[in-house]
Amino acid sequence: MSKLLVSITHSKDDTDRATVGFVVAGASVASSVETVVFLSTEGVRLSQEGYADDIHEEGFAPLKQLMTDFVDAGGTIWICSPCFKKRDLDENKIVPGATIVGGAKAVEFLTTGASSITY
Amino acid sequence: MTITSANALPRDCFQDMGELSCGDLVMAMLKALRPLQPGDVMEVRALDPAAPIDIPAWCRLTGHTLVAGPCGPDKAHYFIQKKEDA
Repeated sequence: MSKLLVSITHSKDDTDRATVGFVVAGASVASSVETVVFLSTEGVRLSQEGYADDIHEEGFAPLKQLMTDFVDAGGTIWICSPCFKKRDLDENKIVPGATIVGGAKAVEFLTTGASSITY
Repeated sequence: MTITSANALPRDCFQDMGELSCGDLVMAMLKALRPLQPGDVMEVRALDPAAPIDIPAWCRLTGHTLVAGPCGPDKAHYFIQKKEDA
């Protein structure tokens, strides 16, 4: 199975990029591609329950729905550990399907044949 | 199994995707195909201008068979047969 890592580096600072990142990730996982969304820098805020509830870019499905559909279809969400800690986010409020990982995990995935795209 | 009026091909279900595009379109096709049995044919109507490129690509990636399409009076109908090992 082919692999794709979708790196999302924005949240409410650029809701267009955050949304399109999950649109592409959804297209990937729905196309039988092993897909990981890697949330880093400001993107890690999307890992918090409720944060994405009011993000709805015109012309796209609501971000919460995109994230839920992605996980339900078998997608994986990784959260950059230092980015998460820097922002003092809550480990008890992480959305379903998401896991805090270190850079080594992302590097391992990329070096075992995954392509990547960044938003 | 019924016969569609679009081009008289047999199909087991019909899904009107309207203007859905990109990830929304393929996610909707994935959800629609899930309850079908292997070998069943789903007819999709998709109006997005990228659908003639995206739907064949999705079929190649997933292993489902694009039996026909785009076809029909509006050139917006696709017939997708679910793969056997899905």
